[in-house]
Amino acid sequence: MILATALSYTYPVGVRPALRDITLSIGAGELILVTGPTAAGKTTLCYALSGILQHEFGGTCSGYLALNGRPVTDYAGVGELNRHVSMVFDDADSQLIFTSVEEELASGLETRIDSKQEIEDRVRKVMELCGIMHLRERPPYALSGGQKQRVAIAAALAMDTDIIILDEPTSELDVVATTRIIEILQDLKARGKTIIIVDHSLEGYRNVADRVIVMEEGHISREGTFDEIFPEQQGSMKALYTDPDLEPYTPADSPVIVRIDTLIKRYGTIEALSGVSLTLYEGEFIAILGENGSGKTTLVKHLNGLLRPDGGSVHVRALDAATAPIIDLVQQTGLVFQNPDTMLFADSVRDEIMFGLENIGSDSPDRIITDVLSMVGLSGSEPTYPRHLSRGERQRLAVACILAMKPGLIILDEPTTGLDEKESDKMMDLMLTLQERGHTIIMVTHNMRIAEEYAGRIIAMENGRVIGDYHNLKGRAS
Amino acid sequence: MSEILQYIPGSSPLHHLNPVTKLLLVILIVGLCVMSAQVSFLCFLIGVLVIGAFFSGLIKEIINQVPFLLLLSFFLVILTSLTVQEGDLLLTILPSAEPGGQGYGITLGGLLFGVILSLRFVVMITAFQLFVVTTKPSDLVTGLLAFRLPVDYVLMLLIALRFIPSLQLEAKRIHEAQLCRGYNPGTGISGKIRSMKPIMIPLVANSLAKTQVLGLTLDMRGYRARKNLPLHKLVFGFGDVISAVLVVVILSAFAYLHFFIA
Repeated sequence: MILATALSYTYPVGVRPALRDITLSIGAGELILVTGPTAAGKTTLCYALSGILQHEFGGTCSGYLALNGRPVTDYAGVGELNRHVSMVFDDADSQLIFTSVEEELASGLETRIDSKQEIEDRVRKVMELCGIMHLRERPPYALSGGQKQRVAIAAALAMDTDIIILDEPTSELDVVATTRIIEILQDLKARGKTIIIVDHSLEGYRNVADRVIVMEEGHISREGTFDEIFPEQQGSMKALYTDPDLEPYTPADSPVIVRIDTLIKRYGTIEALSGVSLTLYEGEFIAILGENGSGKTTLVKHLNGLLRPDGGSVHVRALDAATAPIIDLVQQTGLVFQNPDTMLFADSVRDEIMFGLENIGSDSPDRIITDVLSMVGLSGSEPTYPRHLSRGERQRLAVACILAMKPGLIILDEPTTGLDEKESDKMMDLMLTLQERGHTIIMVTHNMRIAEEYAGRIIAMENGRVIGDYHNLKGRAS
Repeated sequence: MSEILQYIPGSSPLHHLNPVTKLLLVILIVGLCVMSAQVSFLCFLIGVLVIGAFFSGLIKEIINQVPFLLLLSFFLVILTSLTVQEGDLLLTILPSAEPGGQGYGITLGGLLFGVILSLRFVVMITAFQLFVVTTKPSDLVTGLLAFRLPVDYVLMLLIALRFIPSLQLEAKRIHEAQLCRGYNPGTGISGKIRSMKPIMIPLVANSLAKTQVLGLTLDMRGYRARKNLPLHKLVFGFGDVISAVLVVVILSAFAYLHFFIA
């Protein structure tokens, strides 16, 4: 189906090759899992195998690549290739273009199928398959991250091509949704589709993937069956609440930092939080777990005044979070957003951190900047342009920006999205260090592995309620 | 969050109308409103649009636009009153230097021109808005392609419309992220301008980063290679007959008000 021989590629602006000497043969009906650290060339490999690289990007390409026995350069551009290959890009948001989910799925079919009935039938089938029937008339931009990913996958599947390439399609999905996607892929594989998938969460692909390709610095460093490459279990795929190592939570004997009492929040007619009550103590390392849309992010936004309660109360230390000004709350509660790019704007790392310090009127900014940068492992990068840093480094810079304002409580919203395992662990080690220094840490995540491995207390949420509060004895923070 | 210029799903007569017919109507209405300088005819066009909106259940959308349109009209009237000096002087701002000469001030001609300009904008904006909110983007593409517009330009319009709600959401997210860092929009004009930077830079940078994937997605779905349109979309129906009647009515009104009354 796909044959690559000594394929190398350098981006038009790149100095080092992004792909080096890739030799690969993928048969029809195979499911290949591609993994490896950030910037290893996984996305570039996806672009190469879909023909985008050769037809759209320019740059220098050497070696040979054929799809269906025909050299990829023989195809008349992506316009012809899209009849054989469909691709799910890693940024779900920017690949959803139309105004309803239904139209989104139909858009790729209208260019090739004339019968309206056939289009409708196929769209309905794919929506049922991906479990997004209830989102049919919703505008894609208003969906949650996880829902967007499912729609993006459905849009690619609707094209019904022989080759399907997915670049980190489950990064924002919880265990249940990821398992469902893997089931769908398994089903497609059984129907003879060739599937190439890039992912960081691995365990779900055991007994599913025919082969695993590990990439490093642009070349294939290892290749083999899943059991050969990963003999040990790679993180948990079961719902955490059934874990025998979790014990019911008993209150700590340190002072209270956050007290939430029957908190209610509504968006229009939808109740996002229905009476949440929680007490958090100084120095805890807490993971808030829950499926997409369970109210995790809504909850933490109440702790620094971004959202105000519709009912109940929230207190952070002595401040009433329902009424206190945001400028006071953010000095107690630092919230680091999921995507660091939503906040980075300055011309240098130093200016970036300075922004927050100026806002709160700090008296010794230079010392603080040096301190926080060494804490997050970015010493010496003061003059660097923030957007030139890697994703993991940007994430740590975002933490540094918040850290500089010296909040007692630090909240991280999905801190490991888009990071590979090594960088995730680095991030978590940083959190452990901060906890040792007396900060209270809350992380909102759907990543069971990091929650189990690091957090001392695990709070589980579902449909706007707290459904479990546990001590995690295995967690390194306890 | 209010969504600007986004398709509103529905099943009204306007929704069912063929996109090509709708586009022709918009072109006709916009063309005539530019050609006509008669307040009565422009008011008539606004009337037609309001009736159209009413029967499509979109009257609320139009009413939501009223404050914006009033503000726009207000500035247009001020601008033309101060720059166009024609007809009787209604209010003298600077008396004439020569005795007996007309001084500088607000004139009837300037005022009238401002009103006509405002009415034209109301017609154009409302017509375009009704067209966009009742036409699915994919139908919009089909409609525009039927006019033999180059596919790249059509996709540009599609993407521009698509980006509006994304930008709104993204700006809100960025604003929240900066609030977490104690961001405090400054006061005064210089403060306002300086406080734009922390919002605008991530907004523009993140949007640019999205364009590549967006373009590739359209390519992968075969949009750019699209030369022949799917014909099933261009079937004309009962609504199109009604539109033809509407065209005759509008043209008659135009002719009557311009050639018989004037």
